[in-house]
Amino acid sequence: MVIEDVVIVCECDTYVVPQDPDVYKPLIPHPNPDSKPLNSTEWSSASVPSARTDEQALLTSILFKTALNIIDVSAADSQGMEQHEYMDKARQYSTKLALLSNSLSQKKPLPLPSLTSQPHQVLASDLVPYSDVQQVSKIAAYAYSAISQIKVDAKEELVVQFAIP
Amino acid sequence: MSFGLERIPDQLGYLVISEDGVLASAGELENDEHTAGVIMQMVRTACRFRQHGAAEPPFKRMSGKSDNTHLMTVSGQKVFVVKRQNNHREPVVV
Repeated sequence: MVIEDVVIVCECDTYVVPQDPDVYKPLIPHPNPDSKPLNSTEWSSASVPSARTDEQALLTSILFKTALNIIDVSAADSQGMEQHEYMDKARQYSTKLALLSNSLSQKKPLPLPSLTSQPHQVLASDLVPYSDVQQVSKIAAYAYSAISQIKVDAKEELVVQFAIP
Repeated sequence: MSFGLERIPDQLGYLVISEDGVLASAGELENDEHTAGVIMQMVRTACRFRQHGAAEPPFKRMSGKSDNTHLMTVSGQKVFVVKRQNNHREPVVV
């Protein structure tokens, strides 16, 4: 199986990640440029009090950087879209996905390799000799028998009691 | 078009199958779309076999043995199948 695209969906944006990792773009343009993405609403740096210790500041900056790299799909703190905005967005996504899947479905299955240029001759040739078929059947039967005899030879107890004095 | 398959000695029937479906059929395989579907899948799978990274599949013909033999090969994007009687001549044991 070949994975062509990965789609990450969160509250505000859908990103299509093709095999070329250089291309990261929103599927549809962000309709409201003023609204902040979900993962940065908690980390507005404007409100950091100056009384925090260095440790606290370090921790905050680490968490901030991590949050920038993580897309939270749980949407626990949803900003809340109005019904018409939601429906509008859903429609835009559907249209865009339909467009993309049309171009994807045009791929044809892998063509069969040509085994011969003389199909008539190949199919009219002698059959596999009966003795060869017998021999292969016997070998297969032996192999099956051998495989079915594979078993674990238990020598010791797997679980032992520790004698603690 | 029968592609000359009807002239194969002791043949009991044949199929010619393409990506789009059955192109020709006759004898015991006439209109046998079910067998055609099964054979197409078998041939697709077998054509993926490679020996030690070779470029081509390592076989020219595939045989399905039972009371009769189904012989299969691929040429020019088409799968050719012929059903033939098994050899009646048993090896002579002296």
